[in-house]
Formats: sequence, C-alpha cells, structure tokens
Amino acid sequence: MEAMVRRYLNLWAAFFANSLTRDMEYKANLIGGIIVDIIFYSVQYFFFSIIYSYVNTLGSFTREDVMVFLIITFISDTVYMFLFSGNLFPLNRLVVQGDLDFILLKPINSQFLVSFRFVKSYAIFSLIILILMLINQTSLHSIDIGPMNYLFFSISFFCGLIIWYSLDFLIACLTFWFKNFTVGSWLSHEILKFSARPDSIYIGFTRKLLFSLIPMALVSSVPARMLLYGLNLKLLMYQIAISLSFLLFTFWVWKRGLLRYESASS
Amino acid sequence: MTWIQTLEYRANLYVGLFSIFSGIFIEYLIWKQIFIARGTELIRGFTFNELVAFIFLSMIVGQLKSSWITSIEMIDAIRNGGLNKYLIRPISFYTYHLMLFIGQNSLFYMAYFTLIAAFPFIFPGLAFTTNFQIFGFMSALLLAVYLSYNMYYMMVCVSFWFHEVRALVIAYNVANIILSGQIIPLRLFPEVYLKIIGFTPLPFLVDFPVSIATGQLAPELWTSKFMIGLCWCFFTWAMGKTMYYFGIKQYGGYGA
Repeated sequence: MEAMVRRYLNLWAAFFANSLTRDMEYKANLIGGIIVDIIFYSVQYFFFSIIYSYVNTLGSFTREDVMVFLIITFISDTVYMFLFSGNLFPLNRLVVQGDLDFILLKPINSQFLVSFRFVKSYAIFSLIILILMLINQTSLHSIDIGPMNYLFFSISFFCGLIIWYSLDFLIACLTFWFKNFTVGSWLSHEILKFSARPDSIYIGFTRKLLFSLIPMALVSSVPARMLLYGLNLKLLMYQIAISLSFLLFTFWVWKRGLLRYESASS
Repeated sequence: MTWIQTLEYRANLYVGLFSIFSGIFIEYLIWKQIFIARGTELIRGFTFNELVAFIFLSMIVGQLKSSWITSIEMIDAIRNGGLNKYLIRPISFYTYHLMLFIGQNSLFYMAYFTLIAAFPFIFPGLAFTTNFQIFGFMSALLLAVYLSYNMYYMMVCVSFWFHEVRALVIAYNVANIILSGQIIPLRLFPEVYLKIIGFTPLPFLVDFPVSIATGQLAPELWTSKFMIGLCWCFFTWAMGKTMYYFGIKQYGGYGA
C-alpha cells in the first residue's frame, strides 16, 4: 500500500514537472490565467461588498465572516484549478475521439491518469497569495482562531475538495452515456455556484438538498465554519462520510462508463 | 445552417435555463434575507418583488447578449491562421461571425422569448405593462446585443498584435456579470462606482433594456438614452473596423 502511494505521488510529481515546463513556454497563458483569477476574486468581493452595504449579517455570517468564507472559496477554486480543471474538461473529447484508448493502455489506474495528468501550475501564485490573505484575515478577526481550528479546517477543506472533484467527475462521465456531452463543464459550473454563497442563505428543502444529494454547502461553507467557529464533530463526521461516499461512487461510475466505451468508434 | 446545428444541441438550452433559474433562486434567497433583516419595504426604490423581477430579466438579457464563445472561436481563427478562409469569402469576418453568433443563440432567443412572454403572468404588473414598453425593450435589446458584439469584436482584434487574448475575453466576461448589472441592479451600486460605470457603455448592455421593460426608466429619458447607446454602437463599430484594418496588415496567415 505504502509503495503504491509513493509510486502515485512520484507519478504526480512527474506530471507537475511536465506541466510546469509546458506552462512556462506559454507565458501569456500563465499571465492571462493570473489576471482572470484576480478579476474573478475582485468581482466576488465586489458582489458581497454591495450585499453587506445593505445588511450586517446573512444568517450567522457577519461581514468579516464572509470575507473569510470568500477567501476559502477562492482557495478551493484555486486548488481545484491547480489539480483538476485541466483534466476533466477534455474527458468528453477523449471519449468522443477514442483517445481514451491511450490512457487505458497505460499500466496505471486510468481514473488517476484521467484526473491528474495535467496540472495548472500558474495557480500556485494565486494560492500563495490567498493563503497569506487567509492568515491575515483570520489574525484580524474578532473571534480568536487557534491552530486547532486550522487543523479541523484543513480536514474539512480536503473533504470539500473531494466532493467538488467527485461531482465534476460524475458530470464529466455522463459523456459515456450521452456520447457527446460538451455542456458538462458548464453544468458543473452552474451547480458549483451554490458553493460560492454562504450556507446560511439556504433554508428548508434547499438546505437539505445542498447538504446531502448535491452537497455544495459542504465545499466551502462547512470548512469556513470549522475555521471560524471551531470543531463541530457531528458536521465533520458527516462531511467525511459524504465525501467518501461520493468518491467511491466515482470509482463505480468510472467502471460502468468504461464498459460503455466503444473506443474510436464512439 | 448554424440554427439547425443549434437545434441539435438542445442540452445547451437546458443548461442555459438551469443557469438562469438557479441564479435567480440564489439571488432571491439573498435578497429575501436582506429585506427581512432590514425590515423595510423598499431598497433604493425597489420593492422585493420588483427587485426579483428586475434581476430575473437581467439574467435573461445577460445571456442573450453574451458572445464570448463566438469571440473565442474568432481569436482561434486569427491565432491559428484559420482567418484565411474568411478572407476569400464574399462576406466580412465581422458580418460572418455576427450571423454565426445570432444563429448559435437562436435557440436561446426562442426559449427566452417564451419566458419573457410569460413574464406578465409570472410577475403581473412588474414588467411589460404596456405595448410601448415591449417595443422599447425589444429595441434596447437589439442595441445591447449589437453593442456587446462590437465590444467583443474589439477584443478579438487585439489578437492581431497579442496572439493570446482569450484571457482578456474571459476576464471581461467575468467582470461584465457584475458591472453590467446582470446579478445586481446598477442603481444598488455605491454612487462612486455608478459614476464611473456611467462613462462606459456597460449600462446599455443589461440595465437599459431591463429598466425600460420594468418601467424603472421614465419614457421621456428613452430618446436621449437611445441616442447615447447608438453613439456607443457607432464608436465601438468604428473602433473594431479600425483595429481590423490595421490588424489584418499584421496578420501572417500561417498561425501563431
């Protein structure tokens, strides 16, 4: 088991080195990516600035809580971009054109290769800035945020990332059933926008839905709660259970999808 | 041709509709909490129902005027030398893609116009209360779509000099969602931002047609606003043409 983990980590390191080399060759892409990120973050910040100019709290989230929530959302987005965004979007093309054959022939887990082959290295710059912003924001926060909060936040954040990956992966896998599902990335983006708003705005049935079947509230809001308000053991265990369930479901769907794959004639 | 292709890809429409309904749902929840927390009936002249109707219509207009997919295709044509095939056609690069854009969006137009037609029943008395408003909205929408296309075209032409400008289009698109008033009406912005935005064509992309439809813009102001909007259309069209004129001289035709 340990040898396998080490092998896959080494593989990912090789993918990263390769992607970094590619990205450095296209510097305009790199700079462009950073600019788009900055504008995206500014727009989100501006949106909540307007909202909070009319109200002091949204549910349990005050203005300073939402600033922490926003930075966590940005970090989730950046980490996701870094690891997965360059991989799941092209899955449709791989299936339609039959190029998935080349991945299936490799002597490693095909889901791992499909999910991790390309790394968007430019996201590192954004990630460093955002982590510094989070540390700064939490140090200025009126609530005392200790190291234990960071520990539980890290676990919760990791679970949120698994949920995000799983959902995006499941939507991308629909291409096995619909043959050409080019709108997959747009659909996942539209579903994921529920995670970009604090969970306190969701009530009733929507809240139940976003905490279970489409667990978008677990992506950023719950990690933000762990960081701001400390450990909520029940919520954390629930999040771990949901993220593991979704991850296992992706393994099953991938295997089922491959059974439907018809190679180059798809 | 593009219209027929578009009809084949109905999934785009379903996701587009989901985008609008999920977007309005989130905005509805946020503003509901704000109205309850403030305990007021009015925010900057909007009642809660007026605000929801305004945002709903803004999201529809926002999607109808967005031509970023066409723009990315145009940028790729310039970067990869694909523009060559347009140079020998008896139609300009500008007009050809304008037609493509309209064709690609045709299914959206049909579906969204059905939604708009249902608007007086969903939000009775809040929009399209007179034929004059319907006519004004349609005219302003045409202006918005054309102006938006011209603005994208200007960015496309930048790729004659700097090949990789897709990030510019995406960044503009992301910023546009907020700054054109697609998810928050412009009049809810702080004054200082409103003044700056007032010097740009952005208010004509979403806020202007929606303000006409919802009666938020007094009819006596329509003519002057239309004139300013048309001036922006002319300015952006002329800028695009000029940029293309000089840009095509830079074009190698062999791809980046």
